[in-house]
Amino acid sequence: MLQIAGYFAMLSLVSVGGIPSVMPEMQRLVVDVQGWMSAAEYTQIFAIAQAAPGPNVLVTALIGWKVAGVAGGFVALGAFCGPAAALSYWVGGYWDRMRDAAWRKVLQRALVPISVGFIVSGGYVLATPLGVAWQSALIAGVSAAALYATRVNPLWILAGGGLLGFLLF
Amino acid sequence: MENVPPAPPKSLLELYLGFLSIGARSFGGVLPWAHRVMVEERRWIAPADFAEVLALCQFLPGPNVGNVSIVLGRRWFGPVGSLVAFTGLMALPLIWVFALALLYADFSSNPAVRAVVTGVGIAGGGLFIGTAFKLARPLARKPWGIALALGCFGVIALGRVSLFAVLPVAAVLGWFAARKGVI
Repeated sequence: MLQIAGYFAMLSLVSVGGIPSVMPEMQRLVVDVQGWMSAAEYTQIFAIAQAAPGPNVLVTALIGWKVAGVAGGFVALGAFCGPAAALSYWVGGYWDRMRDAAWRKVLQRALVPISVGFIVSGGYVLATPLGVAWQSALIAGVSAAALYATRVNPLWILAGGGLLGFLLF
Repeated sequence: MENVPPAPPKSLLELYLGFLSIGARSFGGVLPWAHRVMVEERRWIAPADFAEVLALCQFLPGPNVGNVSIVLGRRWFGPVGSLVAFTGLMALPLIWVFALALLYADFSSNPAVRAVVTGVGIAGGGLFIGTAFKLARPLARKPWGIALALGCFGVIALGRVSLFAVLPVAAVLGWFAARKGVI
């Protein structure tokens, strides 16, 4: 449990863009490095967190819960939110002063391609729990296109993914 | 009604209940509901002000709307406000996600249920990819930006290199590219 807390606390501080940015690293740690669960279980846990209402950061609570019980869930969520929250609290107080700072705009531009790369990676690791399979590629591709090109509520896209999963797997 | 200027919540209870109602209804994403409750229903904050706080929170690490609750809670009631807003936001979704996970544990040996849940997870991965493409729109005419994004994808998703190794390198490259104005 201490391992989870320490690792999630570090992830917290690099999670610019929220959960999607750190999703590949989190999956790498939980599945590849620690072997706490399989890639398939990881995607299922993520699916539950997506299907439930609420911030997708709750996936951290489910990972902690799976590894170390309910207490592990609270510890993982707290560890992931705590350091970032402390930083937000601190920075929130100084926000007005740095609003027009040139370096902030440079940094913001620099972060766009990086977070795009991270988020696509997060999508990729979630969409390949069974290795690279055409069924997964189809579901992920249709979902991505639907989100990008239409204004349909994401919940319907998730429901469609569930239906395709039922038909294809 | 339209001319009434926005006013911050009057009590910690009001703050808590507002964030509780955001969390309770946030099927399919918290952000739309955060906007609806704070800007439209309770009129705690002006739209432009909300957008600015959100931009800050997207720029900071951590869950975006979670950070919004911290920043606005602080603005209105100090540290206690941050704590109250954040717990209000998380309380109900946390209960529901555990309930759903327990329910799923009972049924996970059923292959049909497992197939559906796997499909939902993969679709969720697809949503990430779709979101990334939306964020990438400003990069359309910036080949260096696209190259940096693809590079990050290659080493992280395909090469399975740790984020902690990639981020510093990518940040330095991005910083110089942004300074030169090519991204």
